[in-house]
Amino acid sequence: METTALVEVQNLYKRYTPDGLYAVADVSFEIHAGELFSLLGPNGAGKTTAISVISTLLQPTSGMVRVDGYDVQRDPMAVRRVIGVAPQELALYDDLTAHENLRFWGEMRGLHGAELQAEIAEKLALMELVDRAKDRVSTFSGGMKRRLNLAVGLLGRPKLLMLDEPTVAIDPQSRRYILDWVKKLREQGVTILYTTHYMEEAQELSDRIGIIDHGKLIALGTLDELTRLVGEHETLRLQLLQEGGGADLAAALQSVEGVIQASATDGEVLANVTSAEATLAAAIGTATGLGLGVRTIEIREPNLETVFLHLTGRALRD
Amino acid sequence: MRKLWVLSLKEVLLTVRDVGALVMMLVTPLAITLVMAAAFGTGGTDAPLESIPVLLLNQDAGTMGQSLVDIFYSDALGDLVTPELVTDEAAARARVDDDDVAALVVIPMDFSARVFPLGALAQQMAGVDVTKMTSDTVLTAEQQFQLGMAFLQSQGLAMVDPVVVEVYASPDWRISSAVVKSIVSQGLEIINTQIAGTTNIMTRLAAAQSQADAPSGDFAQMGGAFQMDWGSDGVQTAELPIKLHITSSTGRRFSWLSYYASSLAVTFLMFAVTSGGRTLLAERRLGTLPRLLITPTPALAILLGKMGGIILTGVLQLCVLWGATSLIGAYWGAPLSVLLAIPIIVLCTSSLGALISAWARSPGQAGAIGAAITLIGSAFGGGFVLRWSLPLWVQYASFITPAGWGIEILGRLQAGQALGRVLPWLGGALALTAVYYGIALVGFRRQFE
Repeated sequence: METTALVEVQNLYKRYTPDGLYAVADVSFEIHAGELFSLLGPNGAGKTTAISVISTLLQPTSGMVRVDGYDVQRDPMAVRRVIGVAPQELALYDDLTAHENLRFWGEMRGLHGAELQAEIAEKLALMELVDRAKDRVSTFSGGMKRRLNLAVGLLGRPKLLMLDEPTVAIDPQSRRYILDWVKKLREQGVTILYTTHYMEEAQELSDRIGIIDHGKLIALGTLDELTRLVGEHETLRLQLLQEGGGADLAAALQSVEGVIQASATDGEVLANVTSAEATLAAAIGTATGLGLGVRTIEIREPNLETVFLHLTGRALRD
Repeated sequence: MRKLWVLSLKEVLLTVRDVGALVMMLVTPLAITLVMAAAFGTGGTDAPLESIPVLLLNQDAGTMGQSLVDIFYSDALGDLVTPELVTDEAAARARVDDDDVAALVVIPMDFSARVFPLGALAQQMAGVDVTKMTSDTVLTAEQQFQLGMAFLQSQGLAMVDPVVVEVYASPDWRISSAVVKSIVSQGLEIINTQIAGTTNIMTRLAAAQSQADAPSGDFAQMGGAFQMDWGSDGVQTAELPIKLHITSSTGRRFSWLSYYASSLAVTFLMFAVTSGGRTLLAERRLGTLPRLLITPTPALAILLGKMGGIILTGVLQLCVLWGATSLIGAYWGAPLSVLLAIPIIVLCTSSLGALISAWARSPGQAGAIGAAITLIGSAFGGGFVLRWSLPLWVQYASFITPAGWGIEILGRLQAGQALGRVLPWLGGALALTAVYYGIALVGFRRQFE
């Protein structure tokens, strides 16, 4: 099905200094109207840089970015009128109340009068902050601030909502709340660009996912399309008794038949294997041979973790 | 425009809710003003007292005016004053208004005739210059008679409608003009003595000669009048029919309370405004500035709104300090003039805040630079000591910071100068504002890009 591209990114390059490394290099993708598109990658992969260029905060070094048909370099004000951004930092005024923050940011988006008041009331209700509307943001918990940060991004009913790592550094309850809220927005047809380094979030929310690493878009597609990249492979996850030794085991597993790739992180080893059942005994034997005890073994169907491991040779959390 | 207003109000609201900022902006300058006023009282001071430039406008046709002029040219006052005779009164007053000289002494046209009517009458009726009379002077009987008549006539004139000698003083030469006033007062005392002495000599001479020449009945009557009015025991002084009128181009008296109220207000305005400028860097770090930049609001409007808020806060700060210090007796100047000057001083100060925040690398660096410039600028500008007691080169150097302009402008208004005379300084402050904002814009462009 061919749908309208709300965002077009073509051969985007961005570096901060003339001789510096590219934070984003040759990235191309489209986001269709009504779609939830995730940029998945580890910290420092270039997600925030990409979102900053699309939101007109940064100028691209080269390449073309259009939002709703407007070029971000030639017509940044038009782009700004159709986007809403919830940045990774909690960009709020702590000494203003929740209501005052919403009013201020609403005015900055060009809202005023009854329309602004209606939007403020709606956003406060949506984020369950009505009772705290007159409290200063400095008295809010991290989760409440994050919700208010998102509410500000939604002011003015933007055509494109960009959420940059919206669940960083918050408690599980608030995280769940935000994920459910994003799903609701998606059901309402809001076009969303979502960046995260949490594989589970991208997997749960996204229509399509772009995997970004070291500034390059290394894979792009739906979850099914991406997992097909690793074929019929499975992931074997070995949690070790010891803190160290994971790297040695991962290196040793590389030579085991049936193991395609292996990577160690945080006391566990992930191995991309052709058949978990066939490789399991050899993997345990290798660990024992290295004097390592195995606490738990988990066999996973292919997922984004597998894909990332397959594409980069590293776990997403490396 | 609406967004500018919203941005500005946000700045004001954030400042008003910051207790620390309020203490620094309002409480501290008020407290220090009170301490300074308590320590110094309401006295005055001035530049070193030598070669005080003073203009002398002698409109008197007689000898008494010249006597007063001669006092200024006496050797005893050679180092203290530098007198200059002038004839154009308007031009002379303008020179005082421009603080070119400390004061103008105006001796009126009929000074001699009014202050010593006997002298004029004696000249007129007896053809005798009594100021040149000595005990050896020989008078004819007719001259004696006419002198006696002149004396009697002068008695009815002396105390009516005293003559006014005006000292038109510059407020910026406070002590110097007081010295001029003192010289004039002493000069008038000398003239008084001179008149008394002359009259006494004339009386004795006339009386002695009247006895020798067997006076007529009228003359005997006059001799009795001489005895009654002047006695016979040497020089006697009477109160002179002279009124010394001290006027000033300002009409205001110097007050330490008023001086520190305004100078410290300017100093702490600089603290507040440079601190406000720093918030631009802080907003960048907190992420609110990037968020603002991706709203459909031009970057220039964001910058202007931010600075507008800082200026609005500064105006409120100065107005509150003006009101509060006025309640305890400080005088800042004519209200309308002060109302015009305050926004210009704040605008000028905000340009320094903008300059610092445009080129500093971090809020901490901006804060340190802002505090250093504020302290140095205030020291040079007269925030801590009387501006006019500082060497001229220091006063001129202070014009590189808003403190110099602010304290100069408010000092002049406080001394009672009319707005028209302060306009050049307001223009200077605006020129500095334009220069600083110009340099700041280059830095902001670099930052925003």
